[in-house]
Amino acid sequence: MVTAAAVVALAPLILPLYLMTLVTEALILGLFAMSLDLMIGYTRLLSFGHAAAYGFGAYASGWLLLHTQLPMLLAVPLAALLTGFVAIGVAWVCTQATGVSFSMLTLAFAQLLYAVAFKWTSVTGGSDGLAGIPRRPGPFGLDAFISRSGFFYLVLIVLLGALAFCQALVRSPFGAVLRGIRENEAKTLALGYSTRRYKIAVVALAYGLGGLAGALYAPFAGFANTELLFWLLSGQVVIMVIIGGSGTLIGPILGAGFFLVVEHQLSNYTEAWALFFGLTFIVFVIFAPEGIWGLFTTRLTRDGATPRAKPKEG
Amino acid sequence: MALLEIDELTRRFGGIVAVDRVTMRVAEGEVRAVIGPNGAGKSTLFNLITGVIKPNQGIVRFAGKRLTGLPTPRICQHGIARTFQLTALFPEMTARENARLAAQAGEHRRWLFVGGSTLFADAGRRADTALERLGLAPIANRPAGLLSHGDQRLLEVAMALAQNPRLLLLDEPTQGLSVEETARAVETLSGLLAEGGMTVLLVEHDMEVVFSLANKITVLHRGAVIADGTPQAIKNDAEVQRAYLGGFA
Amino acid sequence: MSLFAFLVTQSLNALSQAALLFFLGAGLTLIFGIMRIVNFAHGTFYMLGAFIGYSAARLTGSFWAALVLAPLAVGAVGMLFELGFLRPLYRRDASAFLMVTFGLALVLGEIIRLVWGPEALQIEPPQSLTGIVFLIGEPFPTYRLFLAGAGIIVAIAIWQFLDHTRLGLLIRATSQNAEMVRALGIDVNLIRSAVFGIGCGLAGIGGVLAAPLVTASVGMAATMIIDAFVIVIIGGMGSFPGSLIGALLVAFVQVFGEYYLPDLALAFMYLVMLLVLVVRPGGLLGKEA
Repeated sequence: MVTAAAVVALAPLILPLYLMTLVTEALILGLFAMSLDLMIGYTRLLSFGHAAAYGFGAYASGWLLLHTQLPMLLAVPLAALLTGFVAIGVAWVCTQATGVSFSMLTLAFAQLLYAVAFKWTSVTGGSDGLAGIPRRPGPFGLDAFISRSGFFYLVLIVLLGALAFCQALVRSPFGAVLRGIRENEAKTLALGYSTRRYKIAVVALAYGLGGLAGALYAPFAGFANTELLFWLLSGQVVIMVIIGGSGTLIGPILGAGFFLVVEHQLSNYTEAWALFFGLTFIVFVIFAPEGIWGLFTTRLTRDGATPRAKPKEG
Repeated sequence: MALLEIDELTRRFGGIVAVDRVTMRVAEGEVRAVIGPNGAGKSTLFNLITGVIKPNQGIVRFAGKRLTGLPTPRICQHGIARTFQLTALFPEMTARENARLAAQAGEHRRWLFVGGSTLFADAGRRADTALERLGLAPIANRPAGLLSHGDQRLLEVAMALAQNPRLLLLDEPTQGLSVEETARAVETLSGLLAEGGMTVLLVEHDMEVVFSLANKITVLHRGAVIADGTPQAIKNDAEVQRAYLGGFA
Repeated sequence: MSLFAFLVTQSLNALSQAALLFFLGAGLTLIFGIMRIVNFAHGTFYMLGAFIGYSAARLTGSFWAALVLAPLAVGAVGMLFELGFLRPLYRRDASAFLMVTFGLALVLGEIIRLVWGPEALQIEPPQSLTGIVFLIGEPFPTYRLFLAGAGIIVAIAIWQFLDHTRLGLLIRATSQNAEMVRALGIDVNLIRSAVFGIGCGLAGIGGVLAAPLVTASVGMAATMIIDAFVIVIIGGMGSFPGSLIGALLVAFVQVFGEYYLPDLALAFMYLVMLLVLVVRPGGLLGKEA
């Protein structure tokens, strides 16, 4: 893992400019996908509206950078915190339901946010969105992260930090309860855990991290628009998680990379790359639900590792 | 004051009265068996006590505190652990992890987002003890979903024990167990109960198990209590024998 | 316009809207009742109906032909999908179904975009249905009246089908106890495929009928699946009469909500869904999800 990070860190030194942009975007999307994995992979909360976190974070940091003098290094985390905070309310509402109703509520909320972004032109710029979002240096004139490679390193550091946090989280007592909820919520309740509160917490965290990704996207691309809230993106990130390998944190990051590579390479040859992607997704759900990373790791531990037992539907 | 007080507990499903004005008093330290023909309402009773379903009438009190109306986790936090008639485990976690999650439930620190190594160590110890008591130490590292049916049922009991409960609700713990496994389970449970400190409510079909473990028996028939007393008294009760169609030795 | 006239015209509007929503919701609830899965792609099938209807109308020059051909085509697509992708999943858990139908929604949406292009398309209603009628002195679009009528007719037809035909009986039996039906020697899988096809076909009809009113566009699917879900939740998952009630309720809320608080229509939807999920998770008439 450390070697992989080191290799990636060398990217600005060896890659041409346009590939650098691609890798940076892959890292941002990777953070986005990883945040969703906390919900899908570890707690089995299927969200079809995660773009809400991404878009909200992007608009928040974009707005802060356009309308205040806050430096980028402060606007981004602030936007992420705001997203997480708002998400507590959303989580409270959505966790009122379970199963497919939960999924529908998350989708409905994302649609709601999408509609609001369209209509609230004064704040969000309506269908045009926010443009010209600057990467403001500071505080204290710190401008190391403003340049293309500087920003790349910022994203890399944030991603690695978030990954470390998430790994610690899933290995913590809190994480153990999440797994209990995933495998048998009724039993977890009977053990005395107030599972609703845990679900609200993990959803808020997931949205917060998703918002962090979005908050990085705004200064990265220089704009924020309603595409970032569209259900298509919500779907694409679910696909990234599944194809990459849910419940592994690293898998979804790979899934995001896979998605971008496919998008950029295939779109040169065919209009139908999204179709190919969707079909791949369906194939993975049916035949390889553990995803790329899951397949890879089981191959590595083939020496008698415990085989996956099928979870019972409670 | 009894540890568990159930008063006029009633639950209807459409036209069927599953639990019919059940009144019971379980004293602390008692091992109370609840028996009755199939459909007598025994599992529903457990679900009512633990808040999985709400009663139409009646109250359940535990150590003087009213349980009825509380959500399930809050009820169980009072010190009540239960096993399920249909084995309920965490299939992809190892047996040890299952028991550890049960032991962890008693801790407030279970909200820790990071770290938690001391918490895991403590809970792990209690888990290991519980597993050993039930002879499950050899399979502690196997995923629960891959255990034999018998081991799974014993694991559920181990999990309940790991919670260190004041009241233990066992729902047909020996169901599906072989003769040898049943004997092992009964032996273990007798040993535990002999140490005292735990009150048990036991739903069982196997009469030998009931007579080995229980010091009081309540008989349900069509949701209502038809007899309540010592094992000897129940054995001789005519109405009970009628309900069971042919009685039992 | 007097208050009375206003209420009548808006109510008729709502009825025609309810008809469209009914086609959407009835199919979804039938599929859920039989298969215990929510077809996430249902809004996309609706959309597919609109687009196939457009092409069929252009090919044959007849709206009525499109009205017949499109649902058949959509139903066929649905059955093929069920056969190929859903059958292998019957032993898996519910989230796998959700994901596969979600994947289908994306794939189907992409296919539609590739075949018909990203532009919205317009279908012309047939000559006989354009224009207006006068009801209680107020003008009312003939086409909407037709929709309301079509909704009522189809609702009755389905009700009769479920109650009085052998297949309808088998469908109801399977939704209550599939094992029993299997024990009678009937191939439950065939019934499931049939229901999935019928459900998608219904959505297809809705799409064709909606097309002259609402231009067929690629973005429809997301809104439609939420609408469909709200209807089914309100009426109760798996309850056919419930889908009728749900459709009426949603339509009235949408139409009157649109008039009084135009920007909040979507928020309303969300709120209604929430309220029902909280107060009566089983829906007003339904089985437990």
